[in-house]
Amino acid sequence: MTRKIKRKQFIKKAAALTAGSVVLPYILPSGRLFATTPDPKSEFVVYVLFAGGVRQQEAVLQGYLHTSQDNFDSSFAGNIMPNLLKGDLPTKKIAFGTTSPGGTIGDTPIPKILNTPLEEQGVLFKEVRAVNPGHYGGLNSLLTGNSSVAQGLKVRPNFPTIFEYARKHLGLKATETWFIGNTITNSYNLLNGSEHPDYGLAYGANFFAPTITFGSQGQEVLSNAKVYHPQDELAPMYKMKNFLDNAFRVKQGQIASIKNTDEEKNQIKEFVRNTFQKKAAGQIAFPPVSDNGDMVTLAYAAEVLKEFKPKILVVNMTAVDVCHGNFSSYLRALHRADHGVGWLWNYIQTQIPEMAGKTTIMLSPECGRNTNPNPIQDENDWFSYDHSDRNTSRVFTLMAGAAMGSTRGTFSDTWDFSNPGAFTTDNVLTIADIMGIKDKIPPGFMYPGARSLFDRI
Amino acid sequence: MQISNRIKIGLLMVCVVGIFACTKERRVRYEVVNQQANDIVIDKNKAKTDRQYISILYANLFQEALPINQQVATQNVIQSVGDRALVYEIILSNYMNKSGVILPPVSEMKDNPEQFIIDTYKRFYLRIPSELEKSFFVNFFANNPNVTPELVYTAFAASDEYIFY
Repeated sequence: MTRKIKRKQFIKKAAALTAGSVVLPYILPSGRLFATTPDPKSEFVVYVLFAGGVRQQEAVLQGYLHTSQDNFDSSFAGNIMPNLLKGDLPTKKIAFGTTSPGGTIGDTPIPKILNTPLEEQGVLFKEVRAVNPGHYGGLNSLLTGNSSVAQGLKVRPNFPTIFEYARKHLGLKATETWFIGNTITNSYNLLNGSEHPDYGLAYGANFFAPTITFGSQGQEVLSNAKVYHPQDELAPMYKMKNFLDNAFRVKQGQIASIKNTDEEKNQIKEFVRNTFQKKAAGQIAFPPVSDNGDMVTLAYAAEVLKEFKPKILVVNMTAVDVCHGNFSSYLRALHRADHGVGWLWNYIQTQIPEMAGKTTIMLSPECGRNTNPNPIQDENDWFSYDHSDRNTSRVFTLMAGAAMGSTRGTFSDTWDFSNPGAFTTDNVLTIADIMGIKDKIPPGFMYPGARSLFDRI
Repeated sequence: MQISNRIKIGLLMVCVVGIFACTKERRVRYEVVNQQANDIVIDKNKAKTDRQYISILYANLFQEALPINQQVATQNVIQSVGDRALVYEIILSNYMNKSGVILPPVSEMKDNPEQFIIDTYKRFYLRIPSELEKSFFVNFFANNPNVTPELVYTAFAASDEYIFY
């Protein structure tokens, strides 16, 4: 009898011990048994960094010449971003479109692509405070959710980017996150990953600057790549390389670059080769009006979307920055930026079935522009604008697509610098919220007061 | 009279100095201690810049300097791609597709694989391979008869060690 009880007790204890050893490692510091990751609000996010310093008065306030130049009354106001915003085009002094034969420069507005502007497909945060008045600092804040006051130029972001949060906490591959920049100047090519020790380039995004990668320089340097057989040639080559790399053992962080797997590398190489071939054959899809670098960048962003279907793609535009010295060119660049975004959204919905209906688009300018112009006049005698005063903090955020469900409307529609309705730094938390990883962002990594825009709706 | 004495003293001094200055030349031979110039120690901890990498690579493969305009274009293209190793590989395969690249013939590799791999280590890494490294490659070549010097050079030029000095 005693022996029987002992055996029973032994089995009981052994079972309890086994169960405990299985369960205990999964008990989290929060006291929960299992980590919960909310379902993503949408499968894909396209995030547009729009587009080099946009003055609020010509954008959502739709003032056109009335609010930017002297001697133009309210009849000169109007919306020059018809794909993004609802509102009628200006009817007088049109200088932002294409040029008709024999007409004045920019006298014909570009026909709008989206029947329903993005504003009506989602939500507009009309008055948002940009936390940094400069381009690089502003872009940093849009990608890291932090104000980046200590951020230097020519160095990677101090805080992790949205790519790193997504890759680390969702286990995404490098080819599932992309940053498409329009240039490598102003350190923009450093924005695909931070230097943060807990995240860093090990979780950074792939990057292309298409005007260079696929431009004349890329053509010269990359387009004549030899085609190796994946099994007969590339596989043994990578075996040898991996042996050599294992013998050398680079410490983490010694090579300042993101890293794709061999399989991903092959896919990207194939993509580069095919893209040059498509380019030579005139098969790259461009926005109908593609007369500046931003439109070219968007076209190649669409190629990347079609090939890789990344969970997050960020695309940066900067042509609007011409506003420092030519206001008319600025208006044309802004009208084209709207045109390009409309085209990209339409391309996703009509040409990439895997992403159609499952993608959320989000866009914000990295900074605004001044209240008052500088003394530089253009061919129309219109004055130009820099970005340094408090008006520079006035921007907007637009969000549309899958994550919005049936939510529509305009939020944060009054400007209050001290108590803004939203910040540009909200965007990172918002994307994290869309991807279901908002709770994974470590405390103290975001700008104070930053919140997911879904929490502000 | 005084002048004559001075001349005499001068001549005497020259003679004295001449007599004591003449000594027999001692023959000294210095020898060189044999030293291994290419060691097998991997002591490279500084990453090459993009410019250094492409200039060295180009000179290695073509045995001539990279033209400056090509250097600038290549640097820009490297910066326009996020994965540095990947873009190096694409550039490398472009170089391999160009005329003028200087590669050893396949027969050299097949006839004496051990010497080929020693030469390759010296050419790319400026060191001799360890026994382990040598035997890996000799076995690898034996088991993979399709491997060519071009693929071996690609692996070396794309490897991490080649990026460091």
